[in-house]
This record gives sequence, C-alpha cells and structure tokens, in this order.
Amino acid sequence: MSNSRILKSSASALAAYALAIAAALFFAFPIFWMVTSSFKSEVDISAYPPVWSFTPTLVNYAQLFTELNAWQALINSALIVGLATCIAMAAGTMAAYALARFDVKGKEFLAFEILSIRMLPPIVSVIPMFIIARQLGIFDTPWLLIAAYALSGLPFVVWVMRVFIQDIPQSIEEAAMIDGCSRFETFWRVTLPLLLPGLAATMVIVFMFAWNEFLLASMLTSQEAKTLPVIAANAIKPKAIAWGLASAAGVMMSLPVVVLVLLMQRYLVRGLTLGAVKG
Amino acid sequence: MAKSGIIGAPALQLGATKAVRAGEKSVPTLLLAPTMIIMTIVGLYPLLHSLYISLTNYNPTFGTSYAFIGFANYARAFGDGQFWYSVGLTLAFTAISVALSLTLAVFLALLFNQNRLGFVVLRTFLLIPMLITPIAVGITWRTMMMPDLGVLNYLLSLIGVGHLSWASSPSSALASVVLVDVWQWTPFMFIIIFAGLRSLPKSPFEAAAIDGAGHLATFMNVTLPMLKPVIVIATLLRIVDAFRTYDTVYIITRGGPDFATDLLSVYLQRVNFRIFDLGYGSALSWIALVIVLVVVLVFVNLTGFLKLVADKENR
Repeated sequence: MSNSRILKSSASALAAYALAIAAALFFAFPIFWMVTSSFKSEVDISAYPPVWSFTPTLVNYAQLFTELNAWQALINSALIVGLATCIAMAAGTMAAYALARFDVKGKEFLAFEILSIRMLPPIVSVIPMFIIARQLGIFDTPWLLIAAYALSGLPFVVWVMRVFIQDIPQSIEEAAMIDGCSRFETFWRVTLPLLLPGLAATMVIVFMFAWNEFLLASMLTSQEAKTLPVIAANAIKPKAIAWGLASAAGVMMSLPVVVLVLLMQRYLVRGLTLGAVKG
Repeated sequence: MAKSGIIGAPALQLGATKAVRAGEKSVPTLLLAPTMIIMTIVGLYPLLHSLYISLTNYNPTFGTSYAFIGFANYARAFGDGQFWYSVGLTLAFTAISVALSLTLAVFLALLFNQNRLGFVVLRTFLLIPMLITPIAVGITWRTMMMPDLGVLNYLLSLIGVGHLSWASSPSSALASVVLVDVWQWTPFMFIIIFAGLRSLPKSPFEAAAIDGAGHLATFMNVTLPMLKPVIVIATLLRIVDAFRTYDTVYIITRGGPDFATDLLSVYLQRVNFRIFDLGYGSALSWIALVIVLVVVLVFVNLTGFLKLVADKENR
C-alpha cells in the first residue's frame, strides 16, 4: 500500500469514528441527563451553570413514594399491562396458529383487518370508551385499560407469531401427529417449545407499548387506576415543576422496558415491523 | 432477493390444506374466536358508537339528555379554522419529522454497517431513546430546553452560540418538538434499516465494485433499490405513529405557545376533555381517522407497498 492510500484510509476511519461518537453522544446525552437529574438535590438541579459533579441523593426516589403515591401506580401498571399482555399473547397466538396452519376463508382480508388496529389513532376510540365505561361503571378501574391494551397488542402478536409459526417446518408437526399426538398435544409439546424465543420477544414489544402508553391512561382514569406515566405527568404542574421528582419517575418507569428489550434484542426488529423484516 | 430483509411465507399455500385432519373443521374458527371477540367488543363497537355520538350534540356537562342532530357536527367541522390549522400542522410535523428521521437513519445505518472496533457498543446507545417512556422523554427534554437554566443553552454558550428560546417561543416551538420526535424515533427507523442493510446479498456490491462504481453511485443504484421494501415498511409505521404524537408535546408545550404546536391530538383532547363537547369531538375524530386512512393509502400507492407484499407472498 502506498503512503497516500494509508493516509486516506486512516482519515476515513477517523471521520467514521468522529461521526459515530457524535451520534452516540446525541442519543445518549438526554438519557444521561435524566438519570443524573434524578439523583440531584433541589439545589443542584436548579444550579446554573449546570453542575456535573454532585453528591447523589435518593431523596427524589423517596418522594416518588411519599408524594406521588408511586406504589399504587406501579401496582396498577404491572397489573394492567401484565394482564393485557397475557390476554393479547394467548388470543393472538391462537389466531396466528389458525392463520399459519389452516385454510381459513378470507384469510388475507382477516389478517389485514387485524393489522388495521395498528393504524387506528387512539384519540378516535377514547371518547366512546369514556362514554361506555361511564355507563357500565368501569371508568377509572383497571378493566378498561386492560381491554384497550389487549386490543392494541393484538396486531403485533398475530402478525409476528404467524411468521414465527410459519418458520417452523410443518413436517415436524405432522411427524408428531402420525405418532399419535392430537393437534393440541403436538402444539403443546412440539411447536410451543420451539416458539418460546419468539413468544418472549413479541411479549416484550407488546409490554413496551402498553407500559409506555399515556393518552388512554390519562383520559380513562382519574384516581384509582392511574398508571406510572400518568403520575409522572402529574409531577409537572404549571407553577412549580418538581424536576428531580419527574426525572426519578422517568427513570423508574423506563428501566423495566430498557432492561427487557436489551435482553431480547435479537428479535426486536421482527417484532417492531410486525414480522415483515428479519432482524 | 431470497436473502433480502423481507421474509416470505412459503409454507403458507403448500402445507395448509393437507394438515387439516378429520374432525378439525371447527378448529380454526375456535382459534380465531378470542381475537375476533376482542376486536369486535373493544375495537369495532366503540368505533361505531363514536360514529353514532358524532351525529348527536352529546355533552355530559349539560346532563344526560341529548338530541340527534344529523350531520351538523360535520358541517361545523368544515368551518372550524382551528381544526384545519391543527390538521395542517400535524401533516407538516409528520412530514418533516419522518423525512428527517429517515435521512438520519439511512445515514447512520450506512455508517454503522462499517463494522469497526467498538461500533457494536456505540450502536447500543442508538437503540435506547425509543425505549424510554414518551412522558419521561418529554420531561427530560423540557428540563434541558429551559431557556435560562437548561443545559442545552449552557452547552451552546460554550461554543459561542447565543441564547435560544426553544419550545418557549412560537417561532421555534415546532422545530423543538420535531427535534424531540427525531431524537426519540430515529432509533426505530435505524434498527430496521440497519437490519435490512445487514441482510442484503453481497454479490451486487461486488459487481458494482468491479464495474468501478463510486460510493454514491453504488448507494443510489444498488443499495437504495434493494433496501426499498424495508424503508417503505419503517416509513409507513413511523408516519402512522408521528400522526398521533401526543405525549411529548403534551408535556413540553401543551400545544402552545400561541398554538404553535397545537397538533391534532392535542386539539382533540381539548375539545373532548376540557369542554366535553363529545358529539363534536367524535365528528372531528372521524374526520381525523379518514385523513389518516387517506395518508396511508396515498403512501401505499406511491410506494407500491401492496405490490411489495404480494411479491413477498409469491416468492
């Protein structure tokens, strides 16, 4: 290699690193800022110029539980999102199996109908849900949000699980059935174990969207059924904004999703694109 | 194209019929039933109920009685300047935000496709913003964008850039919420396009190299056409989500200042849950739904999305 070529390739390596580091800084800095703010005291958080080294305090996290009633919201979020995810997974996987393995009349139309839920802006269904819930007396109970989140999880489960099931050769199932297993036994003993990684990955995506949801949660609850994003938004009042408290709430509610998704990264792309792109 | 990012459904047609065994005729119906029940009760019924409400003057603050007023709400909507302003603003927000994210995501995908030492670690940082709860994203950016105490103006002052007013002035508020949206959702497009780029076959690139094509020519004539299906899917999902943006804008500006960021979802929230004009709000929601449908259909037609899906099924 001549000198000029070495120079040229190291220059382009330098440029690539500079750009990559700049991009990583741009995307990481606000997260760094949120996490550090959550450990700052009242004085440190309103200091200008901003302080970079400070004595961390847990006072914001303690206040979450004493002032914002975060326990209740945490329990609500876990219960609502957990149940909704389970319902969506169970119902959706059954439907996905039917679409993948049986000749169903109007199958493609059905699949697109399910997909159209993904396109529906929640602001459209929030009014009728509000009215119906008031009439049925389930306004501000977990049930309403469980139903809403189960519905919004369905298109992901049906479309992604359909692709995962199609990835498993039909011959494996047929072999088990020839050996005398019923269709259900075959699914339970042969197909399901093979589907587990896909199921887990899909579950994480459904969980993430429900856990982070705010619009429906804020309009369909008032006291009892508030979820974490709703109480976090309550930390912001027009006059006195509790920045440390709000940051602590942000960290607490984002942490489960970040951990879960980073663990399940392998199938993330497939899940997010409803099975259309292989990750 | 067999190795491209789009995966097909080859087993679909071949295996389906022969697998049906005696006595299994009702099995698919039973399997589909829970999904259909949830979709009908939680999805379809509320939609139809909303259509009905949109033909009345229902407002719970005036008591429980209401009258059927035909299409009066829809007629009123056509003269509602604020509504159409919100629609225009939302379309502009969506177009700008999605275009910026897409450009940035393609650029970053090409950059990180270079496989240099340490890029795997740096790439992880590019994933996290889309996982953060949007409310937390709003809180954090609002803190950082405070004109007098915020860290962004402090950092800019270090490099000699003067005082920016970010979301607190009408002239820069929309740009600020676009910035937040781009920050949060570029990662979504990035990981999809990156995955698509990774799964492209090698030989067309080798052929282009042999033909002596430059970087730009290779990108325009080889990479981009092969990536099209993946880009189309990522963009479609992003358009749908950008159109319904609510959480971050609610936290950062609540539609202000001076309605500079009064996106459709924020305006609808005000009509429905401040003045409880639910009949009118339902009519507006339905118009919004039709607009989303039109946008999606135009996009699908422009990009040949259905043809892409059909190709995928036939392969």
